[in-house]
Amino acid sequence: MDSLTFILAGTLAAATPLILAALGELVVEKSGVLNLSIEGMMATGAAVAFVVATLSGSAFFGFAAAAGAAVLLSLVFATLVLIFLANQVAAGLAVGILGLGLSALVGKRFEGTTIEPVARLDIPGLSDIALLGKVVFGQDLLVYLAIALIIVITRMLARTKLGLIIRAVGEAPNTAHAIGYPVLLVRYGCVAFGGALAGIAGAYITLSYTPLWAEGLIAGRGWIVVALVVFGTWRAGRIALGGYLFGAVSLLELSVQGFGLAIPSQILSASPYLITIIVLALISRDIRKTRLNSPASLGIPWRAGD
Amino acid sequence: MTRLFSFRRIGALLLGVVLASSVQAADKLKVAAIYPSPVGDVGWAFELDRGLKAIEAAFPGKVETSYVENVSEGPDAARIMNQMAARGAKMIILGSFGYMNDGLKLAKRRPDIKFIHASGYQVAKNFGNFQTRNYESAYLMGMASGYVTQSNTLGVVAAYAIPEVVGIINAFTMGAQSTNPEVNVKVVWLNAWFNPTKAQESARSLIAQQADVIFSLYQDTPSVVTVGEQEGVFVINTSSDMKKYAPNHLLGSMTISWGKYFVAQTQAVLNGNFKGSPFWGGVKDGAVGIGSLSDKLSSDQRAAIMATMADIGSGSFHPFNGPVIDQNGKERVAGGSAISDSDLLGINWLVRGVQTRIPN
Repeated sequence: MDSLTFILAGTLAAATPLILAALGELVVEKSGVLNLSIEGMMATGAAVAFVVATLSGSAFFGFAAAAGAAVLLSLVFATLVLIFLANQVAAGLAVGILGLGLSALVGKRFEGTTIEPVARLDIPGLSDIALLGKVVFGQDLLVYLAIALIIVITRMLARTKLGLIIRAVGEAPNTAHAIGYPVLLVRYGCVAFGGALAGIAGAYITLSYTPLWAEGLIAGRGWIVVALVVFGTWRAGRIALGGYLFGAVSLLELSVQGFGLAIPSQILSASPYLITIIVLALISRDIRKTRLNSPASLGIPWRAGD
Repeated sequence: MTRLFSFRRIGALLLGVVLASSVQAADKLKVAAIYPSPVGDVGWAFELDRGLKAIEAAFPGKVETSYVENVSEGPDAARIMNQMAARGAKMIILGSFGYMNDGLKLAKRRPDIKFIHASGYQVAKNFGNFQTRNYESAYLMGMASGYVTQSNTLGVVAAYAIPEVVGIINAFTMGAQSTNPEVNVKVVWLNAWFNPTKAQESARSLIAQQADVIFSLYQDTPSVVTVGEQEGVFVINTSSDMKKYAPNHLLGSMTISWGKYFVAQTQAVLNGNFKGSPFWGGVKDGAVGIGSLSDKLSSDQRAAIMATMADIGSGSFHPFNGPVIDQNGKERVAGGSAISDSDLLGINWLVRGVQTRIPN
């Protein structure tokens, strides 16, 4: 493997957890709810997946349990903000911290242990093609799932009835309510969907990308996800572009260090954040269009009849 | 007013309980330790805890040990130290550099409690510090790397470019050059103490650049070690032995062992003659060593490594024996002399043969 293959093949894998969680958060925010607990949900998903997969020997159970655990957490959040009308920022932070604590508790006995990573695709012939073989045909299933999900969610939000309902609820909940849509139910569903994807994203990190458990493994990726949704101006394609760009630059940075170029490594370490933000800010510089995509009642508590 | 009164009463009651319990346990020396990360199976906190267990084993019935793990540096650490002091600990082991200022403050207020502090530089009557000369074992593992590398490229995954880490990379490089003059060393700085995912990415990026020995420098998890096993390149680990994570590709581990030092300090506290001092333990003190040398090294090669280790232990050889030339071709240590401890503690240059520049 040379450096180019490393970066190309690595980018898809590095970006996958970010994109999965960000697509989930996109749906949540499109329904008008701001869930800042991604970091905690990813951590819980990562820990639960690792423990379940270790004990059961099945990665599938690991992913399922991770999704389930993160959905439960997201439902706690949804109940706080949808039923009790708690401040969404504060509730999200609180549930996020709860999730981080839970992950430490669940993973306590497994601290520093490793697991066999999920198998990569290996198509005889195709996966061995120079350069492209490993990039296109040598990834694990979730990498392809993330790509499929980008297309599915873009279409779902733009073209389907479900997408229209979600957007209506996120733009003008009173209007949606008046014409008979169950605003709270839709928002509950979206938050749970976001939770499931955050859990799976976390599980991907412990079961495939970094097949080990250590407390703090998520290391701020949940916050990058939140930033991606905002800087990607609530459009699935741009969010995905941001995710892949972030993944590519963070791997490129490591390779550049190894080559011994005289660029201070602190600047290199900051470069994925800088470049992703600059590129996304540049392509979204039309404020009018950006405002069009941003859900109008994002983060505003809503109660029927107010 | 009544509320204030009841608070006072509760306070008095609590004080009574604390006093009563401290009287009860007065016959045993209470030793408390505070670690920056979870103990786990391997790594920094695990090694500190092994030292704590050695204290318990050395003085059966005379000491009572306890620890709090995963304490972040700052207010949390200060609170926990004070709690330990209030519960009657007479010796406190501070397991991280960042506990220094809070620990020192507490030490000034409570001269009856003795402190030993990891990797710091402050000393007081009741406050000592401890570090290991890991550059010694790094030199030895460098020798091993020089023997086994086919590509003549070694990769290092390191956290921050602090003097200790820079010294280790230099010693590692010089050790490798002593057995293979053609060797090049590439470094990736993570600029993070803890990020296993990034550590694995770094290891893979180094392997993609033809490194066939990867040095996992102060990575507390088996992140880098497992990549080595997966990709089939040699790995070297610091702090703990990680043989079980890379049974086929671990070239060897740089080990540290605090037991001897901790036990000696506890003995001093028990004898009442503890005096805060800096401890920089090396091969000579049994604080630093190497373990799990790969059987892919020939018996001659292993013998050469062990002979050098014996020379370091006896003081007849120093890894930084001159002449030492830095990356810019400048002579940093003159021939015929070795680097001084104070120069080594503040080292901020890399030796010739390291390709990566030092971040500044």
